[in-house]
Amino acid sequence: MASPTILICDDEPTLRELMRVSLGDGYSFAEAADVAEAIELAETVRPDLVLLDVMMPGGSGLSVLEHLRSVPALQETPVVVISAFTADRDHLAAYDAGANGFLKKPFDPDELESLVQQLLAPSN
Amino acid sequence: MSLPLLSRVLLGSTGLAVLIGATFALALLAMSDLRSSTNAQAHSKDVSTATLELERVVNELEVSLRSYFISGSAGFLASWRHARRTLPGALRRVEQLVESQPAQARQATQLASNTHAYVTEYGLPLIAIFKVNPEVARSDDASSEGLLRINTIRQELTNLLATEDRLASTREASAKREAARAVSVGVAALFLAAALLLAFGVFLAHGVVRPVRLVAAGASRVAAGDLSTRLPERGAAELHELTEAFNAMARSLEHGKRELEAQNEQLRQSERLKSELVSIVSHELRTPLSGILGYSSLLLKREFDEEDARRYLEVINEQGQRLSSLVEEFLDVERVEAGRIELKEERFDLGPLLEDEARVIGAEAPKHRFDVAVGDRPLRVLGDPDRLVQVYANLLANAVKYSPDGGVIEVRGNLTDSLVRVQVRDEGVGIPLEHQARIFTKFFRAEARESGFAGTGLGLAVSRDIVEAHGGKIGFSSTPGAGSSFWFELPVVD
Repeated sequence: MASPTILICDDEPTLRELMRVSLGDGYSFAEAADVAEAIELAETVRPDLVLLDVMMPGGSGLSVLEHLRSVPALQETPVVVISAFTADRDHLAAYDAGANGFLKKPFDPDELESLVQQLLAPSN
Repeated sequence: MSLPLLSRVLLGSTGLAVLIGATFALALLAMSDLRSSTNAQAHSKDVSTATLELERVVNELEVSLRSYFISGSAGFLASWRHARRTLPGALRRVEQLVESQPAQARQATQLASNTHAYVTEYGLPLIAIFKVNPEVARSDDASSEGLLRINTIRQELTNLLATEDRLASTREASAKREAARAVSVGVAALFLAAALLLAFGVFLAHGVVRPVRLVAAGASRVAAGDLSTRLPERGAAELHELTEAFNAMARSLEHGKRELEAQNEQLRQSERLKSELVSIVSHELRTPLSGILGYSSLLLKREFDEEDARRYLEVINEQGQRLSSLVEEFLDVERVEAGRIELKEERFDLGPLLEDEARVIGAEAPKHRFDVAVGDRPLRVLGDPDRLVQVYANLLANAVKYSPDGGVIEVRGNLTDSLVRVQVRDEGVGIPLEHQARIFTKFFRAEARESGFAGTGLGLAVSRDIVEAHGGKIGFSSTPGAGSSFWFELPVVD
C-alpha cells in the first residue's frame, strides 16, 4: 500500500515544514500557501487527509473546507483544522464547516501525529 | 401674541361680577319700589284715620251743641268745649297729611275754614243767644242753619276720603307696575348672569382644562416612551408657554436619548473592537509561538542530524524575533497614544531611504514588482528617520499584502514648494467604501480577517500618529477591486 498523501495548507512555510517533520517519513506531502492553491491541489492530488490553516491569503481556510465538502469525491476526506483562532466559536465554526479534527496553534507535534494516524486508521 | 390666560380669566370674572352686581341692584330697586308702595298705603291709612277722627270731632261738636240746646245741661256744654279744644289738632293733623297733594290741601283748607265758621259763626253766637233766650236757639231756623253747615262739612269730609281713596289706588297700581317691571328685569338679568356664568365655565373648560388635559396626555405618552410627542403651540400666553416648555422638554429628552443610544452604540463598538483585539493579539502571537514550541518540542523528543537541528534552531530564533517585534508593535501603539513616543529631530533626505526600504521589502516579496521613482532633488524633511521609514514600510507591506502576486507597487516621492509627498500605489483588492472612513482606527481590519489577511489592525493607526506628530498628513484613495493609493505629506525643510 502506497503511503498516504497529506495536503498541508498554511501560508507560513516554517509551519508547513514543522507539520511535515512532525508527521515523519511515512507520508507523501502536497503544500498550499493560499486558498486558491489549496482548492486546486485538493482536486488534483485527491489527498487522503488535509491539514488546514484558517487565516490564509485569498480567504478563510473554512471556505476551502466548505468547498471540499461540496465536491463528491472529497466529501469524506478527513480534514484537520489548525488555527490560531482558538475561541470556542472558532472551534464550533470549524466543526460546522465539516472538520474532522481541530488543533490549536501552537500545536504539539506528537498530538498532530497521533490525530493524523487515528483519522487514517482503517476503521475510519 | 394672544391675550394671557390670566387677563382672560380676570376680564371674564370682572364682567361677570359687574353683571351680577347689576342684577342685584335691579332686585334692590324692585324691593325699594315695593317698600315705597307699602309706605303709600300706610300714608293713605293715616289720612283716612285722621279724616275720620276729624269727623268724630265734628260729630261731637254737633251732637253736644244740639243736646245742650235741648236739655240746657252743662255737661253737654263741657262736651262742646272739649270738642272745640280737640278740633284744631285734628284739623292740623289732616292738613299736614295732605299738604303734599294740592287738591286735598285745598279741600282740607276749605274744610278747616267751614269747621271754624261753624264754631265761631254758628255755635258760639247761638250759645250766647241760648243763655238769653233758649227758644230762639231751639228754633227750626237755627236748627236747619246748623244742619246745613254740618252737612256741608260732612260732604267735604266724604270728598276728602274719596280723593284719598282715589290717590291710594293710583299709587298702588303704579307701585304694582314698577314692581312687576323690576321683577321681570331682575329675572332677565338673573337668567343672563346664569347664561354668562355657564359661558364662562365653558370658556374655562375650553381655555384651561382642555389644554391641561392635552398636556397631561402628552406627558403620559412621553412617560410611556414616545419621545417624539409634540403638542400644538397655541392658545393663551401661559398655555403657549406651557406647550412650548413641554415640547422643549420632549425635544431635549429625545436628544438625550439619541445621544445615549449613540454612546451605547460606541460602547458596543469599542467592546467589539476589544474582543477583536484579544482575538488578533492572540492570533498574531500564536503563529510565531507555534514555530518556537513545535520545533523546540521536536528537538527535545526526536533525533535529528546536525544540519536539520541547526536549521530548526534558526527557525526558533527567527520566530522569537518575530514575536519580539510584534510585542514591540503593540507597545508602540500605547507609546504613541500616550504621547510618550520620542521622535529624533534630524534633517535628512527621505529619497534614498524610500529606495532602500523598497529593496528590502521587495526582496521579501519576490512575486511583486516594485516601481520606485523619487526624483533627483533631495526630499529634505525634519524628524525621526526610523519612524518615518516605519510608516513607509507599513504602507509598502500593506500594498504587498493586499495585492495579488505579480502586481505592480508604485512608489513616488515628490517635492513641491512646501511639501514632501510620498505615495504608494497598489493594484490590490482596494478598500470597500463602507470601511474607508474607519481604516485608521486602531484594531479596525475591515473584512481582512474574513478574507484571510493576517495583521493587527495597528499599522495605519500608528502611521497616522507618527505622521501627525511630524506636522504632516496621511491619506488615501481607493477603488474596491482596482487598488489603493496611500500617501503622506511632510513639511519640506532646507
